[in-house]
Amino acid sequence: MTARPLISDEIADFIESGLSINVGTSSKALEPDGVIAWAAHVHEDRSQISIYLHKDAAQAMLRNLHVHPEIAVLFERPTNHRACQIKGTFVSTRNAKPAEQAKVAVQADRFCKELEGIGIPRALLAGLPIWPCQAVQIRATELFEQTPGPGAGEPLR
Amino acid sequence: MILLESLTPCFQGLLPSWLYTCSLSGVPNVAILSHVDYVDSRHVALSFQFFNKSKRNIAENPKAKIRLYDPDTMKAYALRLRFVRTETEGPVYESMRLRIEAIASYSGLKGIFKLLGADIYEVLSVEEIAYEAGIAAEPRAVMGRTRAETRLPFTLKALQVISDQIQQAPTLDRLLDSILETLENILGFRHSMLLLASESPDRLEMITSRGYPQGGVGSEVRFGEGIIGMVAEARKPIRIAGILRQMLYAAAVAKRAQERGLHSAHRSIPLPGLANPQSQLGIPLVVRDDLIGVLCIETDDSYRFHEEDRAYIEVLGGYLAIAIQNALLRERTEEPEDRLQATSTPADLSDDCKRTPIKVEYYKSDECILVDGEYLVRSLPAKILWKLLHEHRAGGAVEFTNRRLRLDKTLNLPEFKDNLESRLILLRRRLEERCPEIHIAQSGRGRFRLEIGGDVALVEQP
Repeated sequence: MTARPLISDEIADFIESGLSINVGTSSKALEPDGVIAWAAHVHEDRSQISIYLHKDAAQAMLRNLHVHPEIAVLFERPTNHRACQIKGTFVSTRNAKPAEQAKVAVQADRFCKELEGIGIPRALLAGLPIWPCQAVQIRATELFEQTPGPGAGEPLR
Repeated sequence: MILLESLTPCFQGLLPSWLYTCSLSGVPNVAILSHVDYVDSRHVALSFQFFNKSKRNIAENPKAKIRLYDPDTMKAYALRLRFVRTETEGPVYESMRLRIEAIASYSGLKGIFKLLGADIYEVLSVEEIAYEAGIAAEPRAVMGRTRAETRLPFTLKALQVISDQIQQAPTLDRLLDSILETLENILGFRHSMLLLASESPDRLEMITSRGYPQGGVGSEVRFGEGIIGMVAEARKPIRIAGILRQMLYAAAVAKRAQERGLHSAHRSIPLPGLANPQSQLGIPLVVRDDLIGVLCIETDDSYRFHEEDRAYIEVLGGYLAIAIQNALLRERTEEPEDRLQATSTPADLSDDCKRTPIKVEYYKSDECILVDGEYLVRSLPAKILWKLLHEHRAGGAVEFTNRRLRLDKTLNLPEFKDNLESRLILLRRRLEERCPEIHIAQSGRGRFRLEIGGDVALVEQP
């Protein structure tokens, strides 16, 4: 009998639906750090994901990951605050391929539509840098409920 | 270092913020923050509502980082923090608690969505996030206003003008309207309402409003409910910006609570005025320890309240409270004028209206009056109206004085602070809204005239 994958199909769809994606790491001095990402891809094995973030945002994060490979990624839908958090370890990084740009753009656009839904005009979002992106592959080890309220922080399987 | 004061727009709660922490073994965690509160030039406060991973991380490693956005430019800032302490009382905690409980009561979450503490952090550094520079620093109008237009309207000069204009109001009745008119003309607040303490010790009643399609005079708010009730209970101003986002956050908590079988003992109450306000400001009107009422201002765009607004708002509240109380005392103590002044007349009535008797029912046990089956007033205003209509029917009385009502034992007015003048204003305004055929017109200081434009059928119910 094969073990149930950490990330269900439903959670995978949620993660790739164009969300607010925030990535946490920690430095050698145990200083927490965080950056935003624009898109996510759940791998077929349902235990690895790749996140796409602007190259400038990735620099400090990658320095941290070489010291502390632990990483946290918070996914949240702004219009209803549904959220989950993946904890995992850094696997590898590479430049995002031109063929991936469209997928990143679609998710980023959906996220911007979400922001419009909470009253943030599109004009304000024009200054957010999206491309070129760095792809960061992560092995997910834990998945947590993060929707605010009772039960936030509990394992989600 | 960038001054925290220069980030005032970021502390309005208009956009979400994020908190990054990590354990001593280097495992990071990310959390969404609904609000980051400015405390002073070196400290911020984060709300502590649920025990969570961030809280556990901070307990072993006090280092944290938050990411903030300027709502005018979407420029991002990173604040490096060190946890100092959790406060469960004091002005910072109270300010956060009142705001959170007001939102909780709009969402039926009182008792569930609550503040456990205000976590105070020292700000070690403030940095611009270079690759998230946002749009131009002085943008075209976004979210309704340019940055210049969002500068605070509360200035000493504005308060002086308000004071001058309000002092010219000849009566309490005129004063109440004048306050809201002046708030619009001088400060630009187009939607506002004024509620005064009612006979019930834990309720306020709306006496006047401005900028709403339906006046809503006589609407009641219980202490502790919504922004108005919370202001009344705490006697402290409350400002909430970015209500839409905070309501969505509370709705998410409510959904989770329901899924877990948690129910608040408190009902959810509707927002007081605008259907979708973006900002609300509640100001207590207090003289010494007496709560005279609450002034509530709403905006339909994301008004930015500034830190320095707080002192002006408290001064304004104190001034308005004294003005209202002085007008109440003056009208109570002045002798009724002998000479009648010009009176206004009842609304023009159509022939149909004049032919149809108005059915006025008084429900004795509830002390409540219905006109043609529709609720009109209750409590003291109901008893007063019932008395006036009876005296009019029995002997054709049309002229009345406040003093005579005050001496009437059947009205059971308290000997001290009976609020008769404000009750009469409430009754008159409810009649204007709901039953213009019956009119109460002030005919001089401490004196009024009952004018009835049709047949009235009086029915007493048990």
